[in-house]
Amino acid sequence: MSVKIEASEGGMDHNVMLGIGLVGALVCIYLVYLNTLMSVEVFAFFGGIAAIIALWWGTDSIKNLCSYGLGTGVPSAGMIALGSGVVAMLFATKLAGISPLLVPVGCVVIAAILGAILGFISDKVLNMNIPVMTRMIAELTVVGSLTMLGFTAMVAGTFSFGDLITGATSVFGVEIASYASSVIGGCVLATIFMLGAIAIQHPFNACLGPNESWDRTQMCAIECGSLSMIVIAIMSLAFLSLSAVVISFVIAIILWGWSYSELIKLSKRDAFAWLDSQPIREVGGEQ
Amino acid sequence: MEEILFGIGISALAGALATVAGAAEDTESDIGSQGDPNSQVQLAPQMGYIHRIYNKAISGEPPAYGLWVALAAGIAWALMAIQYNAILALIIGSAVAVFVQGVYATTAYLGRTASLAKFEQPVYIDILKSVTTVTMAHAFVAVFTTVTMCFLIIEALGHPFPLPLMGLVWGIALGAAGSATGNPFYGKERQYQNYPFGAGLPISASGDIVRYAEAGQRSSLDNGWFTSKGAGPASGICFGLIVFFELWRTILFEPFAAGWGAVIAGAVIIIVFMVIDRMVETWARKTYGPYTTEAATEEEATA
Repeated sequence: MSVKIEASEGGMDHNVMLGIGLVGALVCIYLVYLNTLMSVEVFAFFGGIAAIIALWWGTDSIKNLCSYGLGTGVPSAGMIALGSGVVAMLFATKLAGISPLLVPVGCVVIAAILGAILGFISDKVLNMNIPVMTRMIAELTVVGSLTMLGFTAMVAGTFSFGDLITGATSVFGVEIASYASSVIGGCVLATIFMLGAIAIQHPFNACLGPNESWDRTQMCAIECGSLSMIVIAIMSLAFLSLSAVVISFVIAIILWGWSYSELIKLSKRDAFAWLDSQPIREVGGEQ
Repeated sequence: MEEILFGIGISALAGALATVAGAAEDTESDIGSQGDPNSQVQLAPQMGYIHRIYNKAISGEPPAYGLWVALAAGIAWALMAIQYNAILALIIGSAVAVFVQGVYATTAYLGRTASLAKFEQPVYIDILKSVTTVTMAHAFVAVFTTVTMCFLIIEALGHPFPLPLMGLVWGIALGAAGSATGNPFYGKERQYQNYPFGAGLPISASGDIVRYAEAGQRSSLDNGWFTSKGAGPASGICFGLIVFFELWRTILFEPFAAGWGAVIAGAVIIIVFMVIDRMVETWARKTYGPYTTEAATEEEATA
């Protein structure tokens, strides 16, 4: 069995973070449904906020999983989270055929089952023998699927499969429906996949080390999420009205600016020294 | 016949773009110490070697470049969907992707360095200011040329994939080419110039990377100068050949045996290159440096 190394002391209990992450992300994704209820597009940005909340929780799951000596496994954990999450998320969007309200909950349930199976295979069949493996892979799959669903809802303003495979393209000023200009047909999902996969692994990968601290890593998660939100807002130009895009963009910029400046403050707090144009301080390595 | 000539022309153009992309990609990653050289940059302060080298730990290069290129492609695709001019869309897409790359680079340097406080490694804020912009500039060249190449493959050669998916595939290939070809020059040799060539990396030498330059202290910008001479062009040729042969064999051999002609040509090209690689490797080992069996096992163990 692998030995656990405590990554950082203090911080919020992981179960509490799981609760906040799961409920927060679900509520925000449901808020995107206001678009359909009120026939507007301005609530799309809630999808991005759902993804940020999910990433915030997922960062701690990665930290828990990778405290078992998986140094180079951090980016891989992000890839498996989004890779399995996208399967659950696409399957769940099909549930909109029964009722659109089933999609977010269905997404969580399917992802949890899928993740538990994947985690069991990694832990028992591949014999990695990491005690938290099954649970953390299941959590990461849920986080991955919620991140995908959130960003997809933000870029398209909706989360039902039917709307994701029909886009409108204009030929000589005439609007015609086409699969190739939809979210799935245009493979915008490929970009969302990479944005989520790098954003989920980056905070812990960037902050790991003996002086890693909980609040700095979590702030980095918010920063990565809102940075992804900025570019998702730009991509939603293809699907949403200009007012909806501007609202998403402004909210993303404000969130990112705040989290980035906070992250710099926290790095300054944790750094050994904050030097500008100074030479190397020798501490005793061989010359 | 004309169609084939047109196809070969586009293949050559795409190959040229890919060559530039590969060279810029490897220079960018070496300036930031991304990929496998990163492990020694990260390790050095823990062994008591405080340094002034950039520590850009954003996953490996293939996933990172998968994101930058897919992002540039996604934004370009979205802008083209609302009837933007294609060239303008590609430039804006690349610029936004490079902004994201720059932000990730700064958070990686700040995060990793601040977490090394226990080993008294300070955050040198001037490194952040001077090096980040240089990696961003190189990343822009790499991302823009790759996304333009993807656009050419789709529009001129009629590839069925949408631009973002194409960007993801070729972005990962670009990162893999740079990481596999160029990084050893920096990670295995330049960081260990004070050890004999081909000596491998004994455990006792871990973290003892070169930290001083001809005059003053080694800056990551020096790595850009070094890489652009050797490792960068090598990566460029690698990625350029990958793209050129990939397109060339499809255009020329697709009509044979219901498409299987292209598959067979691909397999033959791979086998030919494996033989060439092996010959070049044994020639280099024989010609340069003290290479002993013992050092080889050690190198394999630490690789």
